[in-house]
Amino acid sequence: MLSIQYDSTFDGFLSVVFEVYRQRLDVGAIVPNRRAGEATDLFLQPFWVETSEESARRLKRAIANAASSDVLAMLDIVFRSEEDGVEMKILTFLRKLFAGIDPNYGRNPASPEMLPLYRIAQSVRLEIADMRGMVRFSKTSNGTYFAEIEPKYDILEILTPHFRNRFANERWAIYDSRRNFGVYYDGHSAAEVTIPNLESVKAGMPPDTITQLWKDYYNAISIKERENPRLLRRCLPVRYWKHMPERDERNQLAAACPPQIMRPSDVAKANSFARIAAR
Amino acid sequence: MDVREKLNILADAAKYDVSCSSSGSNRNTPKGGLGNGCKSGICHTWAADGRCISLLKVLMSNACKYDCAYCVNRRSNDIPRATFTPNEIINLTLEFYRRNYIEGLFLSSAVIVSPDHTMELLVKVAKELRTVHKFGGYIHLKSIPGASEELLHEAGLYADRSSVNIEIPTDKALQYLAPEKNHASVFRPMNYLAERKIEYNAGGSFSRYRPKFLPAGQSTQMIVGVAGETDLQILTLSNGFYRQQQMKRVYFSGYVPINADKRLPVITTKPPLVREHRLYQADWLMRFYKFNYNEIVDAAHPNLDLELDPKISWALRHPEFFPVDIQTADYEMLLRVPGIGVKSANLIASGRRFCKIRLEQLKKMGVVMKRAQYFIYHPDTPASLRRLYPEMVRPLLVAQTKPQQLNFLDALDSKPALLTAS
Repeated sequence: MLSIQYDSTFDGFLSVVFEVYRQRLDVGAIVPNRRAGEATDLFLQPFWVETSEESARRLKRAIANAASSDVLAMLDIVFRSEEDGVEMKILTFLRKLFAGIDPNYGRNPASPEMLPLYRIAQSVRLEIADMRGMVRFSKTSNGTYFAEIEPKYDILEILTPHFRNRFANERWAIYDSRRNFGVYYDGHSAAEVTIPNLESVKAGMPPDTITQLWKDYYNAISIKERENPRLLRRCLPVRYWKHMPERDERNQLAAACPPQIMRPSDVAKANSFARIAAR
Repeated sequence: MDVREKLNILADAAKYDVSCSSSGSNRNTPKGGLGNGCKSGICHTWAADGRCISLLKVLMSNACKYDCAYCVNRRSNDIPRATFTPNEIINLTLEFYRRNYIEGLFLSSAVIVSPDHTMELLVKVAKELRTVHKFGGYIHLKSIPGASEELLHEAGLYADRSSVNIEIPTDKALQYLAPEKNHASVFRPMNYLAERKIEYNAGGSFSRYRPKFLPAGQSTQMIVGVAGETDLQILTLSNGFYRQQQMKRVYFSGYVPINADKRLPVITTKPPLVREHRLYQADWLMRFYKFNYNEIVDAAHPNLDLELDPKISWALRHPEFFPVDIQTADYEMLLRVPGIGVKSANLIASGRRFCKIRLEQLKKMGVVMKRAQYFIYHPDTPASLRRLYPEMVRPLLVAQTKPQQLNFLDALDSKPALLTAS
């Protein structure tokens, strides 16, 4: 049995599947090369498959024909989850699809092979939707807007068109520091970039004055009588807080004692209590 | 007064407006401009109270000339007052938007000088954002009751959504609590805008050059738990809004006491959060689950059950429909099964054309079996469970208070001293 390695891209994975069929390989595991250093199964023989655009293209067409282009798009999304063993799950599905036993197999979302993929796709899509809102840019001295994100799944490429449409006439960059690559948009087109020393680049940026206004707004808009930390954590998971200025720790301490500004609702409530006490 | 102080005051004064959505508009980014609309809406962050923040929600001014009992900004309250200039709001909106903090602007205002004057200020901000700054993001404008039709019409051309709050579900109570307002004055701008929207959409030309008029429609809001209204009254009213004014949303705001006033509940009252939650559940049943309002509440049960959600309550009142056979039941009936939502109902309906749906698959689809198990019939159901007995199921579904682990040391401390021979 083989432990097949590839270059961690979706095209690379499709080339693996293509070779599995072409050479009738006996697959034990499919391992992306970003996991190269991790412990491997001693009983599996390592095997490298080179990425080939041609075979990926042919397989994509075959999937779209046997199932639909929606299913192909879903597989791409599922692949981005980078979950352990997701490659084998997709392979099992494709094997059953290409076996051609049931002509409707590709359209059945409730089949035992499709359902787990469907659920994974759901959670990746959820993060994409969340991330559209949770990216926080800060303005750098040369007018470029820079944001750092650490999403659970590899979704930056899918986010790019959204921000390209929205900020079509700005210069901005989003950097995925977990996977160590980013996208830079110069006002015309987006390109992939890597920053070798991100920390020093970030340290050189001047603080953004608007951020303080945003923190103030965030603290003022919450209703004290309705505080609900559990609901907050469910909607806004703690793992995202790191790159959101409004949720950083110092701001949360400041929320308890705002600057020398009186908020109307606090004043009104204090006055009401005072009036009752005077009676 | 600097912008920071104004923002603190006017955001705080706006926070009791619960409308938060940024959905319904898919405006394109204007050429050479900034921002677009996202049809599904985007939440950008969540406040400490768990409510989503997607828009910069501020008042133009909180120096109100009205004196509504429940409102923090009423004339008789001695509170800090502030007024933004249109430019300050525009700059804040654009700067926040460029940093992806917000999806757009929610602009409301206390009534200053006259309704027309206030509305003019609001429209001016929206107009400048759209025309001078080529802003394509979401704009939600309040319509001020009593403002002229020309101004309302202009607002509809620049805003994505507009809203007028009905505040209190009964006219009599509204006039008692807010002497300057009544239901007729609130309905007038609503109806006017709803009619204009129909006009703009008539004619069947779906060109992208057709002027947009309130693409995201209208919404409204009412305060719950201040005037002794029943849930039947609330849901009847909101059903009317959905049917007649073509509202996109009706929001409920559990009353948070701020003012000490003879006409209001005492100031130490807790906001009725559970009731508000149940009302939203009922609202979802009406909008997404094809329920009629008079199925959820009726004259015999004018209030929602606080212990169980409205869907289960309905199911337990109608045991004749259950258990439902998930292999053959209509999609509409699947939606009515507690524990099955829109997504899982869709999955069941499309999956069962190819194979039988087993219990195991239902769990993987995301059906909440804890609730659904009593209401569905499938090949794995034991014969003894093929009839629904509401009086047996109800106690199983009501959330039990969790047993508390006693702290051993506390117990030792509070224990009376051992009896000693004395």
